[in-house]
Amino acid sequence: MGLIAFLSMGFQGSAKKKSTQTVFFKSNMHCADCENKLFETLRFEKGVKDLTVDHVSNTVKVEFVTGKSSSGKLVQTIEKAGYEAVEITPEDYSKRVEAAKSKPKVKGTHSH
Amino acid sequence: MICPLISFSQEISGVVSGLDNGKILTLPGVNIYWENSEKGTVSDENGSFTIRQEKGRHVLVFSFVGYETQHLHITDQNPVKVVLKPNLEIGEVTVVEKDRGTYFSTIDPIQSERIGGAELHKAACCNLAESFETNPSIDVSYNDAVSGAKQIRLLGLDGIYSQLQTENISNFRGLATGFGLTFIPGPWMESIQVSKGAASVVNGYESVTGQINVSFKKPDSGERLHLNAFTSSEGKVEFNGNQNFRLYKDMVTTGIFVHAEDFSSRIDHNHDGFLDHPLTRQVHLFNSWKYNNHKGLMLHGSFRYLADHRAGGQTGIQRGTPSAEDGLYRIGIRNNLGEAVFKGGYVWPSNHTALAVLSSFVRHDLGSSYGLTRYDALENRAYVGLVLTQDLDPEAKHVINTGVSFFYDGFDEEFNRTGKNRHESVPGIFAEYTFKPFDKLTAMAGLRWDDHNLFGSFVTPRAHFRYQPDPRLTFRASAGKGYRTANVLAENSHLFSNSRNLVFDEAVWEEAWNYGISLIQQYKVAERNLSITAEFYRTDFEKQLVVDRETSNTSVFLKPLEGASFANSFQVDIRYPVIRNLDVTVAWRQNEVKQTIGGKLLEKPYTSRYKGLFTLNYTTNLKKWMFDYTLQFNGGGRLPTIENGGSSSVYAGLPDEFPSYTIMNAQITRYFRHWSVYAGGENLTNFKQDHPVLGADDPFGPGFDATHIWGPVMGIKLYAGIRYTLNFK
Repeated sequence: MGLIAFLSMGFQGSAKKKSTQTVFFKSNMHCADCENKLFETLRFEKGVKDLTVDHVSNTVKVEFVTGKSSSGKLVQTIEKAGYEAVEITPEDYSKRVEAAKSKPKVKGTHSH
Repeated sequence: MICPLISFSQEISGVVSGLDNGKILTLPGVNIYWENSEKGTVSDENGSFTIRQEKGRHVLVFSFVGYETQHLHITDQNPVKVVLKPNLEIGEVTVVEKDRGTYFSTIDPIQSERIGGAELHKAACCNLAESFETNPSIDVSYNDAVSGAKQIRLLGLDGIYSQLQTENISNFRGLATGFGLTFIPGPWMESIQVSKGAASVVNGYESVTGQINVSFKKPDSGERLHLNAFTSSEGKVEFNGNQNFRLYKDMVTTGIFVHAEDFSSRIDHNHDGFLDHPLTRQVHLFNSWKYNNHKGLMLHGSFRYLADHRAGGQTGIQRGTPSAEDGLYRIGIRNNLGEAVFKGGYVWPSNHTALAVLSSFVRHDLGSSYGLTRYDALENRAYVGLVLTQDLDPEAKHVINTGVSFFYDGFDEEFNRTGKNRHESVPGIFAEYTFKPFDKLTAMAGLRWDDHNLFGSFVTPRAHFRYQPDPRLTFRASAGKGYRTANVLAENSHLFSNSRNLVFDEAVWEEAWNYGISLIQQYKVAERNLSITAEFYRTDFEKQLVVDRETSNTSVFLKPLEGASFANSFQVDIRYPVIRNLDVTVAWRQNEVKQTIGGKLLEKPYTSRYKGLFTLNYTTNLKKWMFDYTLQFNGGGRLPTIENGGSSSVYAGLPDEFPSYTIMNAQITRYFRHWSVYAGGENLTNFKQDHPVLGADDPFGPGFDATHIWGPVMGIKLYAGIRYTLNFK
């Protein structure tokens, strides 16, 4: 049962409190597939603690452990995966997310 | 996979996706066309599309089987983004994932649920049997204490009454009935769809209580390589591997699947001199081919070979040494199975007509011995079906499915050196009409006629109804008839590990009605979805094979039903994430299963009166960790007794009821970029049935019975495994 011990050690390690910082990007994802790919790419990046990727508002929010990563490193990772990454302010981020929520991109839907 | 978004001045481009259980899924193969015209296109593998602007056309229509058709008014040339809603509410989506063609899919108003990849990871172990550990609808239990064969129950009734399918074709039946669940490796599965109650007539006349369909991973999926190794504290080792090859772009693809398992430890925790689990070895190879021209034509073929050997019985047995030689009670079972499947589908460019051909050919060779009893059989089976789907109007408010099928099943059986041949051949025709006047309502009526060479011709009527007055409330009702041949020896081979004489008819015709209603209600509580499902199903048998262990001290009778036989099943499930990332399921099911046995209407023996389930699933924010906990409460039930058996009855001095018991499972999974490791335990409370083998000290004497099984035979089991996945770029 060495594996369980190994697993739980890893978990305790990751649960320690460390100082973190959060950065915001706008990107050019066009579909759920891109969103998924970017999520898969970023979640295993060194230092990443929390992550929100959304293709509707075309935004990425990353929280990482200070010193373990940086805005520049994350931009590189996103670009390597084939997408744009332009850092934006938290205010701009909230605005974009809100806009995506209130205005669905499906325009003028009408049923017959 | 980068989504192209090229916008020429006279073209409209965009992306179409679909909503599945609250998640956005890429939807390839969506038909996109200008309203009232023939001009259209299909979304590509990323859901992206480009369509030329047509003069005077301004309404773009998006249609895809299983989703609501959407009309979009185009006012400018900006890229559009469309999310299609499933036309069945949460939990009932039966659309086969990642299958670009539409020909295997059905627009079902049938109550069903899909067990996808994430759910399959919750019980990391081994095969289809274990995949139902976290599912409230299906019970999995052992048939006997020696062969390791498992059976499922749906709506409280034995697995034979639900149709087990792989890729929408009935499979693992006949000689494979008892082992079918352990013949489907978990890591090969993409998803499982479970539907309850009467099924569509398109799938045949057989299902009574429902259908379980297993979708294997597709060769054209994004997964390039998947490896899995597993080991348990009891000494089971298992390896699974599959690799996909793209031979010509993503049009011609093939996948190779390998499974090998070995269980060589001799375990006898209850010290009754019998192995708790047989020694097993299995090799299973599968090769799947797919051709898709992305213009409506899709071909699919697969080949399977499976060899499974098991040896159980007294702890001192040797593999391959018969009981007659060393005097030890030994069970030896050898299965060799080969299968070929071919399917093809074509969707006409108008998108209103589709044709599908489905066929499968199976050869199964079984050799078995249970003590001094021998049973050998060869089964050859073939199925060919042709289904034509036709929309009767442009908006698909009226859809008709018609077709023909032919089923052949030949058995060459030898029981204790007495041979018998039997074959069934059943041609049939069917038609099913679906009426969907608006999104809230679907009504479906189906009828089929089949002509059985042994049991004559018969008619199968089935009807389904779905009404959704509000997106949060779905009501369903179904009624239908089902028929099947009970292959008496093949399906009851577990009874051979019992000293009493078997008195049987070779094949018995079974006939039953099933009625069901269900209700799904969804609420938003604290921004999270609370869903409550309530359902009631009744099955009424008109003809049935009854196993009567309760009339005679010296014989077990397998005879046609004389009198009533029915099952009522009522179930409530509640699902809610109590805090972010922590999903909780609470479910309760009440069963009432009665059968006329020896002239008396009795509760069916070995059947739990209720089942409760409590599951917790916690996933960390980045989905790097997953924790699962499952608690099952199994109600007690009736055990067989021989009324005038006296002291020579095998059940003399034993209780006539079995107690309720609780099973606990837990698992931890850690995900890495390409790897994941998991460890867990099954039956953590270590609950075991006492004395699973009656008369264990004299296995060739009159009191021997290894089929008196109502609870777990194996105690606590710890396991660990590792997975490696590599996707196509």
